Amino acid sequence: MMSGMRKELVQLMAHYGHVGFTFVASIFIGLGGGIYLDQKVFDGRTAPWFTFIGLAFGIAAGFKTLLDVLWKNQPKDKDDKTDD
Amino acid sequence: MEHPILFISIILEKLGLPVPHGFVGHGILEQLCAPYMTYTWLVMAFLFLVSKLTLGNLEMIPGAGQNFWEIVIGGLDDFFVENMGREMADKFFPMIATFALYIAVANLIGLIPGFMSPTSSINTTLALTLIVWFTHHIIGFKEHGAGYIKHFLGPMPVLIPLMLPIELISNFARILSLSIRLFGNIMAKETLLGILFTLAGMFFAPLPIMVLGVLVSLVQAMVFVLLTVIYFAQAQEHAH
Repeated sequence: MMSGMRKELVQLMAHYGHVGFTFVASIFIGLGGGIYLDQKVFDGRTAPWFTFIGLAFGIAAGFKTLLDVLWKNQPKDKDDKTDD
Repeated sequence: MEHPILFISIILEKLGLPVPHGFVGHGILEQLCAPYMTYTWLVMAFLFLVSKLTLGNLEMIPGAGQNFWEIVIGGLDDFFVENMGREMADKFFPMIATFALYIAVANLIGLIPGFMSPTSSINTTLALTLIVWFTHHIIGFKEHGAGYIKHFLGPMPVLIPLMLPIELISNFARILSLSIRLFGNIMAKETLLGILFTLAGMFFAPLPIMVLGVLVSLVQAMVFVLLTVIYFAQAQEHAH
């Protein structure tokens, strides 16, 4: 359907175009989960703590998805270099 | 924001059916008559009729219609095989190819005045995303049984308390990012087109955006399908 170059481009576009959204979504889900634990589960008794922990986990998850994308594309690059 | 004129909604209103004035109606009939629902049915009918008309009877020497579909279906099949292997591709081809065709047509239909992209409603994209998300977990559990949980436990047992929340959060983020990316792109296109039509429609101001809209529509359909394929392949392969 497509030449190799275009296929590669579309795949990279899908991966990297997705990173931004996934990063933000991870942070919001982490933060939302933390706020939910604080306000609904523990009725505000643990007020800021689960929010912060959730935020930290959310940011960590965001970076994890970022690193996943980077690591996933790395072996392919190495193969390309040996081919050249 | 919708297109100023949606001809299906006008026809339905003339027929006496309740068309909601907001995004989603209240009663069940009003919800069924919401523009994104009616245009979803239009896209479904379009795909069904076009494939029926062009592929009425398959022939050994393909005509123009059959040639077109052979290229489309063959291209999609090659693409799936490349990314998730022959076996998986055969198993899930009907589902993912339907998604691809549906999303591509649904994105593109919004470029015609009087039509609206069903994918510019979060309901449609969220539904598609939830189907993909549940299916990839079902694939995982079918393939690995209870061992599928290892996908979420990270590389070392010591790191489980750290990795489990992170993996879960990044997995749930897939729902959000997959649905909102498609919805956001298409809604932005629709909104921009709507604004440009009302501002300077007679001076062909929307034309450049329409050209970009074709690109965005196809790329977003492609990205959605590619990510679906990647998620399925990831769920099926062994944990790291």
